[in-house]
Amino acid sequence: MWLPVVGVFLGVVIGLLTGVHIPAGYSLYFTIAILAVLDTLVGGCKASLEKKFEDSLFLSGLVINLGFALSLAFLGNQLGVDLYLAAVFAFGVRLFRNIAIMRRELLRRWKIK
Amino acid sequence: MLKKSEVRILTILCMVLGFLLTLSYQTAAEKNNKAEEGQALWEEDRLRNSVLEEQEQNKELEEEWRSLQGEVREMEEEIAGEEVSSFNLVEDLERLRMLTGEVPVKGPGIEVTLDDHTYVPDGSNPNDYIVHERHIQEVVDELMLADAEAISINGFRITRNSYIQCIGPVIKVDSSTSAAPFVIQAVGDPEQLEAALELSGGVKDKLVNENVEVRTQKQNQVMMEAVVGESE
Repeated sequence: MWLPVVGVFLGVVIGLLTGVHIPAGYSLYFTIAILAVLDTLVGGCKASLEKKFEDSLFLSGLVINLGFALSLAFLGNQLGVDLYLAAVFAFGVRLFRNIAIMRRELLRRWKIK
Repeated sequence: MLKKSEVRILTILCMVLGFLLTLSYQTAAEKNNKAEEGQALWEEDRLRNSVLEEQEQNKELEEEWRSLQGEVREMEEEIAGEEVSSFNLVEDLERLRMLTGEVPVKGPGIEVTLDDHTYVPDGSNPNDYIVHERHIQEVVDELMLADAEAISINGFRITRNSYIQCIGPVIKVDSSTSAAPFVIQAVGDPEQLEAALELSGGVKDKLVNENVEVRTQKQNQVMMEAVVGESE
């Protein structure tokens, strides 16, 4: 149950230890990547609450979303148009919707108890 | 309540998320640091520049100060020279005015009285026993040589173009006639004037030899009026 939290710490420690610095030009892609991972995480949590969690769906969703968002950002960068906003917008909307769904589900369960 | 596979995937994902967040955070922190450092460097540079500028300005001002000082010194020297020369001029002028009788003069001086001899032996020429104009002339010359500032004969100032003329028993100083006794007054250092007259073999001796009665008297205060206008 606490393993994901431990995972976060582990990731932080690895990040600190490697001390890799992101070149200024790639900070945008990192933003997109963080958003995508966050979105996938929240989506996974929601799915597991609804008992609809499926490994393949989860992973493919992550990879495809991440890849598409990154390529969108790359394209936008090449064209000089802020296309990555579309990905940010989509991820943000989905994040909040999923969180809302999780909240309702948890509230429902708490009331039932 | 979570399945094992779910936990595993979520953990991995959380790890990735943590990693990404850390990298982002580090980069952002570094960027801030760099910016701050740049700011500090820039500030230092600016301060150093201002110090240099100030120093340069100081140097310039110092140079200016030096040159101004030099100028002032030059001016002072010039003024000092002028003062000396003008002081000398004023002194000369005063002295010359006294000599020419343009200003009233008073001060210590000497009074010389020349009188005809009272006793004329029989068979001698009375002409040898009276005061002649050349006697007076000699006394005046001697007094002038002895630095008398002003001279008068029987109250008449001697000026630069005065003349002393013999007209029989009287003499004429400028346009005024006067008779014996002749009182010659001179303003100047009394000691010096007297000493000049009383040199052995000097004017007094000579006058006494020529049977002129000579009396010298130092005076504390001799006053002479200015001669008005050009005397003929």
